[in-house]
Amino acid sequence: MKKTKRRFERYPGVECIIHSLGADEKIAQRLAQMGVLPGATLQIIRLAPFGTTVEVSVDSGQSFAIRDEYLTALKCQILAMPLTYPDVRLHTTYRIRTLFGGRKFQQRMETQGIHPGLFIKIVNLTKPRVILQLIEHEKTVKLGRGEAEKIIIEVTNA
Amino acid sequence: MPERAEKVVVALSSIPNTGKTTLFNRLTGSSQTTGNWPGVSVEKKVGRFTLGEFEISLVDLPGAYALSPVTEEENIVRTYFLKTPPAVILNIIDASNLYRSLGLTLQMCTSGLPMVVAVNMIDKTTQLDIPLLSTHLGVPVIPISARSGQGVPDLQQALYEVIKEPERTHIPHISCPPVLEEAAKELSRKIIPGGALEKMDSNFLAMRLLEEKTFADSIQKTGLAAVINQWRDRVEKTTGEQIPITCAKCRFNAARGLILETTRKQSAPPDERSKCIDNILLHRWFSLPLFLLIMFLLFQAVYGLGAPLQDLIGQGFDAAEAWLRVQPFISRQSDWLQSFLFDGLWQGLGVVTSFFPIVALFFIFMSLIEDSGYMARAAFLMDHLMHRLGLDGKAFINLLLGYGCNVPAIMGTRILSSHHNRIITILLIPFTLCIARLQVFVFLTTILFSPVIAPFILFSLYLSSFIVIVLTGFFLKVLRIAGKPEPFIMEIPPYRMPTISGVALKTRQELKDFLYRAAPLIIAGVIVVWFLTHFPADVPAAGAETWAGRLGHLFSPLFNPLGIHWQETVALLFGLIAKEIVVGAMAVIYGGGDLSNQVFQHISPLQGLSFMVFTLFYTPCVATIAAIKAESGSWKITLFSLILGLVIAWLASLVLYQTGLALGLR
Repeated sequence: MKKTKRRFERYPGVECIIHSLGADEKIAQRLAQMGVLPGATLQIIRLAPFGTTVEVSVDSGQSFAIRDEYLTALKCQILAMPLTYPDVRLHTTYRIRTLFGGRKFQQRMETQGIHPGLFIKIVNLTKPRVILQLIEHEKTVKLGRGEAEKIIIEVTNA
Repeated sequence: MPERAEKVVVALSSIPNTGKTTLFNRLTGSSQTTGNWPGVSVEKKVGRFTLGEFEISLVDLPGAYALSPVTEEENIVRTYFLKTPPAVILNIIDASNLYRSLGLTLQMCTSGLPMVVAVNMIDKTTQLDIPLLSTHLGVPVIPISARSGQGVPDLQQALYEVIKEPERTHIPHISCPPVLEEAAKELSRKIIPGGALEKMDSNFLAMRLLEEKTFADSIQKTGLAAVINQWRDRVEKTTGEQIPITCAKCRFNAARGLILETTRKQSAPPDERSKCIDNILLHRWFSLPLFLLIMFLLFQAVYGLGAPLQDLIGQGFDAAEAWLRVQPFISRQSDWLQSFLFDGLWQGLGVVTSFFPIVALFFIFMSLIEDSGYMARAAFLMDHLMHRLGLDGKAFINLLLGYGCNVPAIMGTRILSSHHNRIITILLIPFTLCIARLQVFVFLTTILFSPVIAPFILFSLYLSSFIVIVLTGFFLKVLRIAGKPEPFIMEIPPYRMPTISGVALKTRQELKDFLYRAAPLIIAGVIVVWFLTHFPADVPAAGAETWAGRLGHLFSPLFNPLGIHWQETVALLFGLIAKEIVVGAMAVIYGGGDLSNQVFQHISPLQGLSFMVFTLFYTPCVATIAAIKAESGSWKITLFSLILGLVIAWLASLVLYQTGLALGLR
C-alpha cells in the first residue's frame, strides 16, 4: 500500500524548511518571485474554516494565504511541530521551541514551569490529557489537548 | 508665456501592498483618469502633474512581483515595459520589509532605464543606509512616507533631476550561475535592440529572452529563436530548474546581501498589532460569525442608507418632471417629443442618478474594507467555498453585495485578483436576487398567494437564485470561458488605518467612471425601450400595436409554454429599464384600473411563479448590462451574459411551469 504523505499543513504551529518548490511550474514561479525560495522557513499559522486554505508565514516576514494542495506539493523538512502532531513519539526528548499562543497562554504555561528552551519527555499522549515530564524541573505536568496544540517542540540530539 | 511643457511618461511600479496607490494619489491628486488596459478587465490609471518645465503622465502599473509574468497583471506590466518603455521608472519599496520589495526593484534596475526608488514607511525603520542603497542600485533612493507626505518634495526633486539628466551611472550586476551569465552574454551580443527597446540594457533583454518563452516567440523573425532555445535547454539542464526560478534565486540572494549591508536591524519586528487583531477576526470559531456580522453591517450600510436616498432622488425627479411638464415651452411641443423627453430621456437620467448614492456608498465601504486589510482576510475565510466554483474568496463579497444591487457589485469586481475571477464573477452576479427584483416579487406574491405561503415562495426564490449561481459557476468552470484560474497565493497585508482622502478619491473616481462609462449606455437603453413601447406613434403606448406589443406576440410561441402572456412579455421588456417598473408597466399594459385585481384575474398563481422565476434570471436591467460592458470591456462577454441569462430564465420557467401543469397545479 502506498504510504500517504503526512499532511503537515494541517497542523498550525508546524515549522518547516523548504527543500524544493514542487513540480507545478506556475506555483513554483509564483512562490519564487515572492521571495519564497528553497531554504526559507515556513510556519503554518492557521487553517481557514472548512480547512483547505492555510495561512503561512515566512521567515522573511510575509504572511500569505495559500491552498493546502500547493503546500503538500512542496518538499519540506519539518523543524518543529506541536505536541499533538502525529509523528511525536513517547519517551523521546524534545525541546520546547515556542509557545504558539497569546500572552495569557504564555503566562499560564510559565506558572507551570513551561517555557521555550526547556527539555521535555512525553509520558502520555492518550486523549484527552497530555502528560509531560519536564526533565530539568523533575516534575510532570498535565495539559489539555488545546494547550498541547500550542506547544511547539523540536527534536534534539540530547 | 512659458514654452509649451514637455510631456514625460513616468511609470509607477511596485509589488502589491507597498503604498503605491497612496503615493499615486499624493503625486497626482484628483487629476486622474481611468480606463482599461487593452483587451483585459484590468484598470489603468493615469495621473498628471507638472515638475518645472515638464508635464508628467504618471502611469499606475498593476502590482507585480516580477517582470516574467505569472498573472494577468504581471503580463500587463511586462508588455508595457517592453512595448512602450516609460521615460522614467518610479519604483516604491516597503521599508518595513525590504526583502519582498527588492526582488522587483533589482530586476528593474538592471533594465538600464532611468529610475527613482522611493522607500516608503521609512518612519518604521530608520536604520537604513539610504546613500549606500542608492550606490548599489545605481539610482537615486528617496525615503518617503506616502501616508503623511513626508519626503514627497524630495522625491519630486529627484524625479525632476532624473528627467533632466537621464544618464545612468551604472547598472547593478546580479551574479547568477556561470552558465546563465554566459548565456546572457552570448545572447546580448546577438541582439540588436531597435525601436522601443533601444534604451534598454542588452544584458537585461537577453535575460528577458531566456526567462520568457512568450517574449522570445514575439521576436522569432530575427532568427534568434533557435539560439535562445539551445541556451535555455543548456541552462535548465545545468541548474536543474526553470530559468525564472534560478533568476528569482539570484535576485533574492542579491537582495539579502543588500539588506545585510545597508540595514543595521536584520528584519523588522513582527507586526504584533495585526497578530492580535487576527487572533480575534480569524479565530477558529469566531471568524465566520464575525465575518457574517461584518458583511451584514456592510450590506446594511450600503443599502440601508442607499435605498432611502435613492427614493428621495426618485421623488425629486418626479416632482421636477411634474413641474417641467406644465412649463409653456415644453407643453407647447408635440406629444411624441414630450413623451421622448419625459418617458425616454428624463427617465434615463433618473435611472442614472438613482444609482449615485448606492455606487458612492458601496465604494466608500468597500474601500474601507479593502484599505484596512480585512478584504484579504475575508478572501482567506471564504476561499474554500468559492474555490469549488473556480473562484477565490474575494468573489464571495461581490456576489453577496449583488443581492443588494447588481450594478455596484459588478463595478466592484475590479478588486478581484485575476481576469478569470473577474469575468466569472461578473457573469454570476446577474443571477443574484437584487432589491429591485424583490419589490416585484413581494408585490406579486402578496396578490397571488395566501399570507401563509407567500414567505415560502420568497424564500424559495432566494434559494433558487443561490442554486443557479452555484450550478452556473460549475458550468462556467467546465466551459473555461475565461481561461484557467490563477494559482491562489495571496499575501495577507498588515492591518492599516484607511485614510479619508484615499477613500474619497477612490469613491469620486468610481462615480466619475460610472458617469462616463456606464451612464451613456443606460440612457441609450432606456430610450430604446421607450421607442419600442411608444411606436408606431399613432397607437396607445405599451399596447398590442406597439413594436413591443408586436414583439410580445411574435415571441408568444416561445413564452406560451412558460405560461407568460404577451402583456407580461412587454412588462419584462420594460423591466430592462429597471426591475422596479415591471409592476408599474403591468398597470399601463392592462389598461389601468386596480392593478391587484387585474393581476389576480389575468395571472394564475403558477403563471405568476413562472413569471417571477423568469424575472429572477433573465437579463438584468440596462444599468447592469452597461456595468458589465464597462467592467469587462468586451461586447462578447456582455452578449454572452445576456444570452446566458435568457436561456437559464427560459429553461427554469419552462421546467417549473410544465412540471406544475403536469402535477395539476394552476
